[in-house]
Amino acid sequence: MPLKVKVDRDLCQGHSVCLAECPEVFDVVEQDEGYPVVKVLLQEPPNVLREKVLAAAKYCPNHVITVEES
Amino acid sequence: MADSAAVDLKLPPKVSGEKPGVGHMEEFDVNFARFLMHCQEECGELAEYNMAGQQTVLMSGPEAQEAFLKTLDKKLSRAAAYQATVPVFGKGVIFDATPDRMKTQLKIQVDALRYQNMKHYAAIIAQEVQDWVADWGDEGELDFLDEFISLTLHTACHCLLGPDFRYKMTDEFKSLYHDLEKGLQAIAFVDPYMQQPVFEARDHARARLQELISAIIAERRANSDKEYGDALETFMSGTYKDGSPLSDNEITGLVIATMFAGHHTSSGTAAWMAVEFARNPQCTEEILEELTTLFADGAELTFEALREIPRLESFMDEVLRLHPPLVLLMRRVIEDIDYKGTLIEAGKTVAISTYGSHRNPEYFPDPERFDPHRPKVNSPELMWAYIPFGGGPHKCAGNAFAQMQLKSIFAALLPKYEFELVAPPETYQDDFSAMVLKPSSPCRLRYRKR
Repeated sequence: MPLKVKVDRDLCQGHSVCLAECPEVFDVVEQDEGYPVVKVLLQEPPNVLREKVLAAAKYCPNHVITVEES
Repeated sequence: MADSAAVDLKLPPKVSGEKPGVGHMEEFDVNFARFLMHCQEECGELAEYNMAGQQTVLMSGPEAQEAFLKTLDKKLSRAAAYQATVPVFGKGVIFDATPDRMKTQLKIQVDALRYQNMKHYAAIIAQEVQDWVADWGDEGELDFLDEFISLTLHTACHCLLGPDFRYKMTDEFKSLYHDLEKGLQAIAFVDPYMQQPVFEARDHARARLQELISAIIAERRANSDKEYGDALETFMSGTYKDGSPLSDNEITGLVIATMFAGHHTSSGTAAWMAVEFARNPQCTEEILEELTTLFADGAELTFEALREIPRLESFMDEVLRLHPPLVLLMRRVIEDIDYKGTLIEAGKTVAISTYGSHRNPEYFPDPERFDPHRPKVNSPELMWAYIPFGGGPHKCAGNAFAQMQLKSIFAALLPKYEFELVAPPETYQDDFSAMVLKPSSPCRLRYRKR
């Protein structure tokens, strides 16, 4: 089953845990002002990345990431 | 929250018992957490009380708390509500900076708390805990609030300012810190500049700390090829949008703000965790079992290893539910607000109470009972009801650091020592005398080597 990654950028403070867990899917980018914010590189990542994507969502300190299994 | 339009808006219900001049200040001072619970019980979702002339609207329940936490500074200002911090953090720092500069300062502060630094901090904390227990012997009795105030000051200094500063730390530094903390009591939120001995001590402490920290900054500037990997390095290399670096005063202020945000909040929570471990031996056994399994082969307490310790986390979450270190979060209303048909006028303060929210039986049945087995409280579903670190765009940026530190401390302590209460269980109470919650003193526990 394919995964679908959603993020609530308003809650993100750029802690970068997702980037450490799964750099294939998440990046953290500087903004014009304020905190750097998560950027999703693959909205529908392949199944081989399932564990890593779920870990990124689980360990995000601000609950920014949700993963839907469609 | 909508902008107010010229329709028939109600005003928030007022809490009874207001006295001329002081308003509800006296009741607030007796026990502010209980006073806020009483406000909600009497008036509901919105409750207006009077802090010596400052009208304050308490917003209760997840929906109101979400509105509070998600609304940005230009409408609900943190800066205007937290002017009491200005003499503590310093002129031009955070809540005294222009909105643009404040954003950059907070961004640089978070840079120091990102994943890359956290791995380094985890190693420092593990080392500090080892050093702390080195001379404990087989058994003894300690005041664990005092102990954790000291331990978390060591870890904070070590992570922020590096090993040199940490290992040369004097009693003077500790007492300066204490004076700063006393400068942030309730009265400071009415007027932080009135003539008071505590405020004089606060101002002296701020000035002296700046001398101490400026000396390290100067030394580092003179040795610019060295790498430190601590927060001070991050602060010193951060820049504003125009490329200019932070001044010495701003760096000092950021160091103080960061330590202040993390120090007493962490020591109070750690002390409460120790008390609850002693008070709940069955839960402690379960967590010990978990730790023994996870760290069976003597695995180190690294950042990765500490990421997931479910039973210990549930225990910590429950401690933070019953004893949230910051009880009261505040904002100043900049533009009139229409909250579900009620007008909250510009100039008023709005507030939420973590302590009250965490005792809402609708979300936390039998709320006064300490129960780490209740359904997971630190979850997306309860994001606006369980708010020990606030939430939304201004959530406590140190939350991951704080939780990692608490897990590191107890993952090291519990397998080695068991803890017992020294005084009757009910005598360990929340101390509401300062704005940061902690267990009442003395907070003595007996420890015995396992």
